[in-house]
Amino acid sequence: MSLIHTRGSARIDSNLTPMIDLSFLLIVFFILVARMGGDQAPPVALPIPHDGAMTPSTATPRIAVNVLAETPSPAVTIGTRRFGTAEADIPAIAATIAQRLRADPKLSIDVRADRTLTYAQVEPALRAIGSAAELVGGTKVTVRVCALGGVSDGNE
Amino acid sequence: MSSRRATSISMSLAITPMIDVVFLLLVFFICTVHFERSEEVFVMDLPSRGATADPLALRDPPITIEVAARTEAGCALAIHAEGVGANPTSFDELSAVLKGLRRTKDHEGLYESTHQVLIAPSRAAQWQDSVDAFNAAVRAGFANIGFRESHP
Repeated sequence: MSLIHTRGSARIDSNLTPMIDLSFLLIVFFILVARMGGDQAPPVALPIPHDGAMTPSTATPRIAVNVLAETPSPAVTIGTRRFGTAEADIPAIAATIAQRLRADPKLSIDVRADRTLTYAQVEPALRAIGSAAELVGGTKVTVRVCALGGVSDGNE
Repeated sequence: MSSRRATSISMSLAITPMIDVVFLLLVFFICTVHFERSEEVFVMDLPSRGATADPLALRDPPITIEVAARTEAGCALAIHAEGVGANPTSFDELSAVLKGLRRTKDHEGLYESTHQVLIAPSRAAQWQDSVDAFNAAVRAGFANIGFRESHP
C-alpha cells in the first residue's frame, strides 16, 4: 500500500493578507482624493492656457464668481445665488460680492468663466467685481482668474 | 488536577464581513471617483479707483494688448505702448515681444515689470484667447496686469 493513499484530503488555504493590505491602501487613496460634498464651484470648462504660467490655487477662503455658458444666455453664479449677465444684473452681483467682502475682507475673488464665452459675456462679472471693490471702499481686494493647469495641445 | 487540564480555546477572527465591507467601499470609490486637472490662478490687477487712487501718482500710459475675435486664420493681436506698436501672430510671439519690452538686469527694456499691462479684448473675443493674452504677459514677467473695460 503506497503512502500516497494514506494521506488525508489536501487542504488549500489562500493567504488573504496581501489582498486586504492592498484593498485598504486603495481605500485610503480614494478617501484622500475624494471630494465629499459640493463646494461653491460648479463644473466650468475653464480656459487652458498654452504653456501656462499660473500659480497653484491655494486653499485660501474665496468667493467663486462663476460665469456659466448656458443657453439661451450665460449665467453668473455666486454660491447658491444666480444672476444674468445683463447690464441690469451688475448691481445685484456687486452687492452680493460686497456683502461677502464686508463679512470677511480677506476673501479673494476667483473669476471662473467658461472658455467658450466671449469677453462681452464675461465682462459684466468683471465690472461687478470692480463695483464691489468700490462699495467696500479702500479694501485691498485680490482678484484671480482661474484656468486649468497643464499644457494644452493648442487646439482648444 | 483535572481543572488544570482545561483544553485550549481556539479563537479565530471572522474576516469575511470585513472583506465584504472593504470591497463595497472600494467599488463605491472606484465608481464615484472623478479625476480632473488642477485649477490654477492668475492674480489680476484691479485698478485703483476713487479714494484709493493716489492723486499725485504719475500715470504712465499702460501697455495695451488688443485681442480680436477668433477667425479661421487665428486670433489677431496687437500691442500698443508709448512708442511701441507690434502685431504678433501668436501668443508665444506676444510673450516674446513683451519680454523684449521689460527691463531686467541684463536687458535694457522700456518698462519695469511693475508697469501696468491692460488686456483689451474686443467684445467678440473668446475668453480663452483673453486668458491666453493674460498668460503671455505673465510669462513675459509683468506683474501688474488687468483687463480693460470695453466700450460700446
